[in-house]
Amino acid sequence: MLLKKELIRVGLEGETNEEVLRSLASVFVEAGVAKESYPDAIVLREQNYPTALPATAFDIAVPHTFAEHVNEPAMGCAVLAHPVEFRQMGSPDITLHPQVLFMLAITDSQDQISTLKKIMGLIQDPETLKKVRDAKSVDEVYDLLHEVLA
Amino acid sequence: MAREIKFLTVCGSGIVTSSMIANTIEEMLEEEGYDGHADESNPSEMPTFLARAHYDFVAYASPIDEDELNGVPAIPAIGLITGQGVDEFKERMFEIIKSAE
Repeated sequence: MLLKKELIRVGLEGETNEEVLRSLASVFVEAGVAKESYPDAIVLREQNYPTALPATAFDIAVPHTFAEHVNEPAMGCAVLAHPVEFRQMGSPDITLHPQVLFMLAITDSQDQISTLKKIMGLIQDPETLKKVRDAKSVDEVYDLLHEVLA
Repeated sequence: MAREIKFLTVCGSGIVTSSMIANTIEEMLEEEGYDGHADESNPSEMPTFLARAHYDFVAYASPIDEDELNGVPAIPAIGLITGQGVDEFKERMFEIIKSAE
């Protein structure tokens, strides 16, 4: 199970995608799952290859970066205090406004493919996504995600 | 014996998104009786992969340079992750596969 409760934030404040990305990425560093270089790498990767997606429910983003910045595989989540501008994965000319971030620390995609598949299922599940966005506490987000990712 | 289909998935870091896409496509191919094999790359590695092996098609989730495809058909694949446009992807993919048979 990649999802870790200490990597979940609810009502994360930030005006730009860089602010919210740095804020959540530094939680990964504090928790020891990612290296000091991880926040910069996440921000740079987002600039070069954006990760926002127009999910059916609302826009989301799945920020991640190269394995060299990761200590151990993990997944975190931030419900943003308000939507922030990101660019769309594959179509950087399109601006999206994600409300929830699913941040990934991946070391080996083949090992972690079952979780990646479940994350895809989550992106395609408007009901659960809305419940996550509307959750009031970290525990609530954790329980919702734990159920669909387990 | 099931026909082998070899394809290349391309995403920004060549890890997360390309794996999601590769896995989904392999399952689609299997359902139709094909034996799908994916390689995963990022955009800058793509020309090297294409020079090294024959691919039936490229599925991409990050912008690619069409001049670098060398005639290999390419299909946009973001829709496989969001679940919007899965049928269009499938249709295009099997069109490419059937036209090569």
